[in-house]
Amino acid sequence: MLLTFCFTVNQMSAQLLDNLRVGLESNMAWYNDDKRTGPFFDGENNDGDEHVRVNSYLKLDYDFLENFTATVQIESYEPLALLNYSPNFEGTDFGIYSLNYRSDKLEASAGHYYEQFGSGLILRNWEDRQLGLNNALLGGRVKYMPTNFLSLTGLYGKQRVGFETADSDIFGFNTEIDISNIFKFENSSLNLGISYVGRQEKTDIEEPNFDELTNAFSGRIDFSKGNFYANAEYVTKSDDVFVINGQVINSFVNPGNALLFNTGFSKKGFGLDATFRRLENMGFFSEREKTGNVFLENNINFTPALTKQHDYLLTNIFVYQAQSQVVFADPELMEAGEIGGQIDVFYNIKKGTALGGKYGTKLAFNASYWAGLKGDYDFDNLTYDVDYFGFGEKYFSDVSLEIRKKWNKKMNSIFYYVNQYYNQRTIEDNFSGEQIKTNIIVGETFYKFGRIGQSVRLELQKLWSNTENHDWVGGTIEYNASPRLSFYVNDIYNSGTDSSTSENHYYNFGGSYNKGATRFSLNYGRQRAGLVCVGGVCRFVPEATGLSASLLMSF
Amino acid sequence: MKYLFAAFFISISLLMHSQEFPDINLNNLDGNSISVKALTDSSDIKIFSFWATWCVPCINELDAIADVYEDWQDETNVELIAVSTDDARTKKRVIPLVNGKGWEYQILLDENQDLKRALNINVLPYVVVVKNGEIIHTRTGYTPGSEEELYEVVKEHSK
Repeated sequence: MLLTFCFTVNQMSAQLLDNLRVGLESNMAWYNDDKRTGPFFDGENNDGDEHVRVNSYLKLDYDFLENFTATVQIESYEPLALLNYSPNFEGTDFGIYSLNYRSDKLEASAGHYYEQFGSGLILRNWEDRQLGLNNALLGGRVKYMPTNFLSLTGLYGKQRVGFETADSDIFGFNTEIDISNIFKFENSSLNLGISYVGRQEKTDIEEPNFDELTNAFSGRIDFSKGNFYANAEYVTKSDDVFVINGQVINSFVNPGNALLFNTGFSKKGFGLDATFRRLENMGFFSEREKTGNVFLENNINFTPALTKQHDYLLTNIFVYQAQSQVVFADPELMEAGEIGGQIDVFYNIKKGTALGGKYGTKLAFNASYWAGLKGDYDFDNLTYDVDYFGFGEKYFSDVSLEIRKKWNKKMNSIFYYVNQYYNQRTIEDNFSGEQIKTNIIVGETFYKFGRIGQSVRLELQKLWSNTENHDWVGGTIEYNASPRLSFYVNDIYNSGTDSSTSENHYYNFGGSYNKGATRFSLNYGRQRAGLVCVGGVCRFVPEATGLSASLLMSF
Repeated sequence: MKYLFAAFFISISLLMHSQEFPDINLNNLDGNSISVKALTDSSDIKIFSFWATWCVPCINELDAIADVYEDWQDETNVELIAVSTDDARTKKRVIPLVNGKGWEYQILLDENQDLKRALNINVLPYVVVVKNGEIIHTRTGYTPGSEEELYEVVKEHSK
């Protein structure tokens, strides 16, 4: 009897657990005082005592009754969040909770949800724990797909900020129409999309020159035929007020708009892609006063920098960030948006040719150029009048070439060259910023030896610039003992005169252990003050020295 | 609350088990919606490799497998589905990159990271091996040569 009971309970719990997915992430830092860069101090929380910080996330998804999923995410920032996370992430609480229904034609969510319309130019809700970003909406969403060519989405919510929500209401509606499915196109595809997003936020301003409800509309078209594709998106935003340092300037009200065009052609061994984008006054926040905040909170839309995202230490010192907002900081520093584009070419030199060698050679080329909007800017009267296709002051350019070569079964190399122009004054809104031009080369080789998974990787980097401030060199050595266990050491060093980084070694060393979906890593080192960038969005992190550990698990 | 959190974590970690693949639709490169659940309900082994155009080790891994992919398919009928987690910033680079490199994988786009989130993936590259809808192997990160170990897993389960 008892045995049967135990067996049943066991069976039941096994069945219950089969439908449960669990993810755990815990990131710990122990910040030290540093002889060279000074004692530990957290300016955001005005704290110099809490040297040990832990950010933890536990997420549970439970599937039940065939069509339902319940999700909760508990987050903990104890005793305080890691350096330069928003002070709104404090303590331990439920960060996300939701109940979702899903069938072939209907999806419904109550609670927190993540939504994206089109490319996100009008609406994107997402999470990035490294950036300290979670702008999910809390409310309800319904998606209905009555036929195979039509999809409709309606949503309402308040945006998540820390463990609270923003003091505004967000409404959204989206339609996707698959024209090629209606007319049964044989070998081409044509899709249309139309979206609306509204922000309703009360204001304390007397006689405001703007409405409490701000409306944004987006129209999209997406075409492809064989090896060719092209797509375009246009967004307009109704009158929105200018904000500087959290202050609403009632006399400075403008509409916004965005245009995105992308086209490409590819066949086996060759790929080409070109993008053009123009943004004018396209900052869109769930609270007007939070416009341009450094913690990336309250973002309704997503306007990433359309440049190549590099993956090496020295190529990530001067990183472009999209200039989507109006900036009137000074008569010499006025912006209304950005205009520019980028081109990518991928080419595979065939095996057996002189340049291809035995295994072929892979090339990737990227070039991007971004500038301000050309026009007349009047600082005293707070007005601007910009041309639609005029290129103003240059903000940024980047040209890069990557060559990947496999020499033999044991050895591969990557050669990487980058040339950048970085207008520090306009990108960072820094009055004394320089015009920085850099050339960067990176060489990387890995060599396999011994048993399966054993290898070494060596990476050398050098950055030259036109200013005396920046002259960097860097390197990485990595030893992989097996597919599970790795160790690394890296260091970058600036022999230039830049007051904040000059003659400091930014070294790091550590290791990681992976087993299945579990990963544990341990690092010690000195972090350079600068941008942490993920998916085209960057957040500033201060200089810090210390031990960090990270544990990831899912089951 | 924080003690509850710790207690919960400890009890959960005692109950580790093999999980089922979540039911989510993703677009392929032709803009068609593909059910990942339907893909995994197969007695042939499917490898889901989560990658992004900006992730150097991800590209290293997919390049390395591309060199031996034909042999893998002939011997075990395995299929690799490369799930791009690129968002609006870098998504445009997926098609030219895949064709430029001549990869023969099925490509799915997880643009707002719905599948990545459902599987609680935090670090790329990330590989999930599935058979009959059940996850039989996962791996985080890539070091040169790891693909050989991955193939050992595939061979073992394809019998």
